[in-house]
Amino acid sequence: MLEIEDVTVRFGGVVALSAVSVRFDKAVNGIIGPNGAGKTTLMNVLSGFVTPASGRVVGDGEALLPLAPHRRAHWGLRRSFQKEEIADDLTVFENVLVQIDHSRSPARTKTAEVEAMLALVGMADRAGKRGAALSGFERRLTDVAKCLVGKPRLVMFDEPAGGMSVDESRQLGRLIRQIHGTTGAQVLVIDHDVELIRSICEDTLVLDFGRRIAFGPTAEVLDDPRVKAAYLGTEEV
Amino acid sequence: MRHLFHVTPSGWAGLATAAFGILVLPSLASSYWLSVFTSMGCFLLAIAGVAFMYARLGMVSLTQVGLMGVGGWIALRLNHAFDFPFEVNLALAATATMIFGWILALPALRMRGLYLALVTLMAAGGLEIIFATFQFPNGGAGFWGVQTGSGAAFRRPWIAQSPQAYLRYVIACALLGFLCIELHRRLQPGRAWALIRRSEAAAMAAGVNVTLYKTWAFGIAGLLGGAAGALLAGSLGLLDDGTFRASESVMIFALAVVGGAHSWQGALIAAVLYKVLPALLNIWGVDANLAFVIFGAGLLHAVITAPQGIAGQVLEGLGRLSPKRGAKDA
Ligand SMILES: Nc1ncnc2c1ncn2[C@@H]1O[C@H](COP(=O)(O)OP(=O)(O)OP(=O)(O)O)[C@@H](O)[C@H]1O
Ligand SMILES: [Mg+2]
Repeated sequence: MLEIEDVTVRFGGVVALSAVSVRFDKAVNGIIGPNGAGKTTLMNVLSGFVTPASGRVVGDGEALLPLAPHRRAHWGLRRSFQKEEIADDLTVFENVLVQIDHSRSPARTKTAEVEAMLALVGMADRAGKRGAALSGFERRLTDVAKCLVGKPRLVMFDEPAGGMSVDESRQLGRLIRQIHGTTGAQVLVIDHDVELIRSICEDTLVLDFGRRIAFGPTAEVLDDPRVKAAYLGTEEV
Repeated sequence: MRHLFHVTPSGWAGLATAAFGILVLPSLASSYWLSVFTSMGCFLLAIAGVAFMYARLGMVSLTQVGLMGVGGWIALRLNHAFDFPFEVNLALAATATMIFGWILALPALRMRGLYLALVTLMAAGGLEIIFATFQFPNGGAGFWGVQTGSGAAFRRPWIAQSPQAYLRYVIACALLGFLCIELHRRLQPGRAWALIRRSEAAAMAAGVNVTLYKTWAFGIAGLLGGAAGALLAGSLGLLDDGTFRASESVMIFALAVVGGAHSWQGALIAAVLYKVLPALLNIWGVDANLAFVIFGAGLLHAVITAPQGIAGQVLEGLGRLSPKRGAKDA
């Protein structure tokens, strides 16, 4: 369960988030909104890269805002970036291992966990491949495996399907839906692909100009006239 | 874990070079060249430290020669104050230099970008003034330990009393330095560094304590710089403040980039340019300032055509000859 209370973020004169409150309690949740709506900013607040002017964030009963970014990762926060961040000079295996390097469990346990998650995303056969040699989709799959290791509690994806083919996007959707079942983690997905959101998210939050304009079961939210209006004219959905 | 002791082609070449340096070089060199190569070996160790930090993390340290001075000062101080064997002085000097480096750089390590370069450059300037003012201990009384006239004797390692043996000793130490860096690179710190270089945000999101691992890298560079300074003190038995000017720190950083910061070959090229080239010019009776012209041309060459340095270009050429082994293995 993730509770966001009255979070406000300003960049100079721009109000990127304006007193946003929302309580995510479903397994998979979506965040949508036009460009510049504040979606990534909300994720940055959760990750600790942006400090809000005011507000509170509570995950599983623990206040997250006082924790340093890497501490939030140790707590169980996982984040996949708009542009996947895979180190070119590490292998697929090592890229995933980094995520649990800090844990004190024995090396063998960590190795087994990394191998299991690589198998889950379908990258087990390429574990020794270097980051530089991966295709865009392979990088994304590695990124997903990285989000799965180390008992995650909250996994966030920022436009994971950006630049992917329809097939790849479907495969990714299936993987994202498996996350809760495999790890118990709650999932948060930002995407412009409304079909992806509709097919995997139970609840969805809609932001526009930094404000919450709708929140609730995905199908209802997508039918909301205010949501349609927010998208109208800004881009084709 | 599997790759921990795996030796790459470039690694074999490095071991072979070190073996040549230890087994063959000392018996070929005249006493002039013995001293040139010994001091080159010391600077090689120091260059390994700055080059590694730049290659792995993009961190620019402009105080490496200053840190050598600190290590050398501590080694001389300990030598003249106590009866410790050389190895103890070496270890203490390296460790103390590492801590000294941390204190200098810690505020800047929390920040990104050019701050580290600026802070370390200021530190190099400060150290230059301190060394010029107080000189290096040579057996005199008091804390600064300086006396006029000839200094007291410096105890070399008991296994390396002769100049030949001391050259071997220095090369072995430089090899250990490179192995220490390589070991780190293959373990947890190396993974953290690789991710930090990719993106600090991604590293933090992966649970990497970015400040800790940057500090760690700076610590290794400080450790190697301090050890290099102590070894240089052992080579000459005394040190001169002219060796440790701030401009020398800037110079070896620039040469590390010219040589190629990503590989041991690059560090070796830098050390050869820094020490062997001027020695050759000296023998040929050419003005030593010509070395600066050559360095400048090398830097332009690196900036314009060779982001991986001279070593990168050579390795790439070799990689083209044998398609199996890319230069990336370095
Ligand atoms: N670091 C920053 N400094 C200044 N302004 C910023 C910063 N980050 C975001 N903004 C501004 O805040 C607003 C929200 O940006 P944000 O990136 O959160 O939007 P988004 O919903 O993720 O958009 P997109 O769909 O294009 O990714 C925008 O007006 C943006 O220009
Ligand atoms: Mg965004």
